[in-house]
Amino acid sequence: MHIADLLTAERVACGDPSASKKRVLEQLSALIAGGQPALTPTDVFDSLLARERLGSTGLGHGVAIPHGRVKHGTVTVGAFIKLQQPIDFDAIDGEPVDLLFGLLVPEQSTQEHLQLLAQLAEMFSDAAFVAGLRAAGSAAELHALLSQWKPGP
Amino acid sequence: MLRTLSVRPERYLCSTRRITLELTNYIILAIGALLLVSVYASLLSARVGMPLLLVFLGLGMLMGEQGPGGVKYDDVQSAHLIGSLALAVILFDGGMRTEVTTFRVGLRPAMLLSTLGVLLSSLVTGWAAMWVFDLHWMEGMLIGAIVGSTDAAAVFSLLRNQGIELKQRVGATLEIESGSNDPMAIFLTIVLVEALATGQSVLDWHWLLEFVKQMGLGGLAGVGGGWLLVKMVNRIRLTPGLYPLLVLAAALALFGAVASIDGSGFLAVYLAGLVVGNRPLQAGHNILRFHDGMAWLAQIGLFLVLGLLVQPSELLDHAGQALFVAAILMFVARPLAVALCLKPFHLPWREQVFIAWVGLRGAVPIVLALFPLLAGLEHAREFFNTAFFVVLVSLTVQGWSVAPLARKLGLNVPQEAVGLHRVGLDIPGQPDFELAVYEVKEGTSIAGRRVAEVALPPGCRLAGLVHDGEPQDLRLAERYRAGDFVYVLAFRQALPQLERMFIPTSAQAETAKRQFFGEFVLKGDARLEDMALVYGISVPPEYSGKSLAQLFGEHFHGRQVPGDRLPLGSIELVIKEMQGEQVVSVGVKLPH
Repeated sequence: MHIADLLTAERVACGDPSASKKRVLEQLSALIAGGQPALTPTDVFDSLLARERLGSTGLGHGVAIPHGRVKHGTVTVGAFIKLQQPIDFDAIDGEPVDLLFGLLVPEQSTQEHLQLLAQLAEMFSDAAFVAGLRAAGSAAELHALLSQWKPGP
Repeated sequence: MLRTLSVRPERYLCSTRRITLELTNYIILAIGALLLVSVYASLLSARVGMPLLLVFLGLGMLMGEQGPGGVKYDDVQSAHLIGSLALAVILFDGGMRTEVTTFRVGLRPAMLLSTLGVLLSSLVTGWAAMWVFDLHWMEGMLIGAIVGSTDAAAVFSLLRNQGIELKQRVGATLEIESGSNDPMAIFLTIVLVEALATGQSVLDWHWLLEFVKQMGLGGLAGVGGGWLLVKMVNRIRLTPGLYPLLVLAAALALFGAVASIDGSGFLAVYLAGLVVGNRPLQAGHNILRFHDGMAWLAQIGLFLVLGLLVQPSELLDHAGQALFVAAILMFVARPLAVALCLKPFHLPWREQVFIAWVGLRGAVPIVLALFPLLAGLEHAREFFNTAFFVVLVSLTVQGWSVAPLARKLGLNVPQEAVGLHRVGLDIPGQPDFELAVYEVKEGTSIAGRRVAEVALPPGCRLAGLVHDGEPQDLRLAERYRAGDFVYVLAFRQALPQLERMFIPTSAQAETAKRQFFGEFVLKGDARLEDMALVYGISVPPEYSGKSLAQLFGEHFHGRQVPGDRLPLGSIELVIKEMQGEQVVSVGVKLPH
């Protein structure tokens, strides 16, 4: 499975004004639930929030990868939000976050899902790629960038 | 050299005096030049990864009778004085630099290593020496005791030069061991020398009493003396330059006093240093820096003198036998002693292997080898040469392999702070505070951020901001910009956290850190079950209800340190950060 398979154009949002960590997680949950008919946004939100309680998923340099695993989920779904104003996310380096990739995996998650998560972390540690995302003007452009990314050698 | 001095006829009458005056100048010149060369040699040592002690020793040998220097020096008495003085200074400094917080992970293993361990390795090495040199068993034991103590300072300087930060548990164990095993080796040596000189047997109960007396007096006087010294320094008002001198004088006086009432002076100065270095101290920075320099001077002086004293050609007389003794020490005695002493502590095997190999021998064995010479024992010269040879082999073979081995065994933890500029100031009557100054560098997390938004760690207050050489009004200051200087008033304990904000990050260092600590971070108090739920991992029932911190605590028997890892299903948990003995954050390393 590739990162491109996780996303659809509808699940990439650009420039939503969000006031808080909770608010942006709700938006992310709504996007994810849109691709997962069996789930409500609340289910997704609860799952993401449960993970945040164990420690922030803010990786540093303004990037966060909220993730979770749900009981009734059947497919792996991703969603992406780029914020106009960075928000406080308790990230490990204390920097506010403006790029968020949410990932939800089904209960029967496998090794593959963990590898996918690792790949996401690698993708967002690529400084040039992240700079490209910040420069992107539209959701379509963001979606294209995210789908085209290939892991390095 | 002196004979070539021209003595003009008109000065003939006072020529003797003139030559003595000139001699003084020449000696000062020689000492200055030698120190200069030694200081510069430290650069060379850092570059080629050669133990610095080896360089100083080599310099001494070059200066000596059989080298181009041609200096004849064979006064064992003065060498012993210089040796003891230097060791006292080095041990005191070592004590000051040992952080009591590392005792949690290192104290108990180190204590066993520095008592039973020294005894075991002395016995095994002594047996080998007895056999290969065809000596009396007590003479063999004497050789074993002489080479019984280790030198961790040499190890740490080697690792630092290579940019390796050792895992705390290994580092602390080696450090505490090397500070506390000298008194044991010294005691054994003295007992054996005395027994051999007077023809007594060492298998007598009064030596045990002697042991209790030496260590008891040394221990009590050390802790008590250190405590008194702290009181003294914090109460007295002196010219700043005199504080370090006060401390040095007190340390030397303590050493002398304890040793003259048959206590272990070395144990006393080490413990006193430990107390002084771990209490809030007026002019603490000053004192530490001064003693750092003094310890260097002591090391250089000691090794130069020892190098002068040895006759390199004599070393070769028994090279084969001495090499055998060194090999037994490195490959049999030390590993055996380490394996037995560390057995109760459940250290990971990689760490045991490293500790077993890194029993570097430094100055102490050569100083101890002077004791038999002073006592006029029969084979004293042989003992000295053997000890000297063992130290040379150990420094060369083990010294060079320390850094590669640490890497190979995966004992290096990615460093947080490297080469940061920090200036500490002491505020009279406020020994806990420091004023730290940092330059804001490009690529740090603080550069470009708004002053009002940046939260400094608890216990830190922004005291000043200098932009373009101009002090800024803090109420109006907008952002931290690259090139600014930031003045922070901080508690000493908050400094590591504070410094992290000023370390520029590089993509390479970040990748290394991610590979080591994993992609994501969890809090130490997160429950294992909750974590397992997110990552789809099954947790054994005995761990239900436990936090990650508890899991690590149980698994590493309360001696967990940053960098410790636990595999769990297909992921790996790695301790990322600790505060005291509490695991604060844990990295999650995902499968790739």
